[in-house]
Amino acid sequence: MKFADFICREAILAQLQASDKEGAIREMVEALSKAGQVEAEESEGIVKAILKREELGSTGIGRGVAVPHTKHPSIEKLVGTVAVSPQGVDFASLDGEVVHLFFLLVSPPDRPGDHLRALENISRQLRDDTFCRFLKQAKTVADIQQLLNEADNNQFGS
Amino acid sequence: MSETRATRTVVVTDPAGVHARTAVAIAETVRRGKSRVTLIKDREPVSGTDVLQILTMVTHQGETVTLEAIGPDAEAVLSELEPLFAGRFGDEAPQSV
Repeated sequence: MKFADFICREAILAQLQASDKEGAIREMVEALSKAGQVEAEESEGIVKAILKREELGSTGIGRGVAVPHTKHPSIEKLVGTVAVSPQGVDFASLDGEVVHLFFLLVSPPDRPGDHLRALENISRQLRDDTFCRFLKQAKTVADIQQLLNEADNNQFGS
Repeated sequence: MSETRATRTVVVTDPAGVHARTAVAIAETVRRGKSRVTLIKDREPVSGTDVLQILTMVTHQGETVTLEAIGPDAEAVLSELEPLFAGRFGDEAPQSV
């Protein structure tokens, strides 16, 4: 699976404004809603479902990266977005570091395989330190889009 | 305490496979212990402390993972890890998220 298969380019955020976990998740879900990937009336339910998932254990997986996610019945196909937080967000990460890079995923309840393949793609690309560093340093949506395209074209990855 | 080596082969029974929560729980468990833990799927070894490496294995329900631990608490850490592959986290009922 490639980023282009599940990342909604119109929902990418290069300058995440929120400074806390709930605000960050809400900002990303709203971006997906504005991009038409999530129905507006379902947004709040999706935010709450993601927060409930976070209560079970943070998706801050270390190296300044978090992958907040949930399954939701209103979604027919896996959708996701990328957000960069220049100031960092306290996400109660595994390694205690603030999170600068978010990959938020919302998937249909009956497709766990797609979710795993998206996580695999994200993880494999992020294992490349150059890709991870460049993405955190990206200042514009165009920068992020270009990095994702390059990753999809196998220009990064271990 | 002397260093021992322990191995165990587990079948993933969690319907969601080895997802983010499993990977984080594995890494947290290994980091709490005193042994080096390697997960092996399809002969590809990954570090038990690295969430990104664990997720890169893409392990679905029904697939098999071999766990290898080397250290003073090798058997104990593998016993802690095994329930995670069934989606059992602590005292909670099995679930997949």
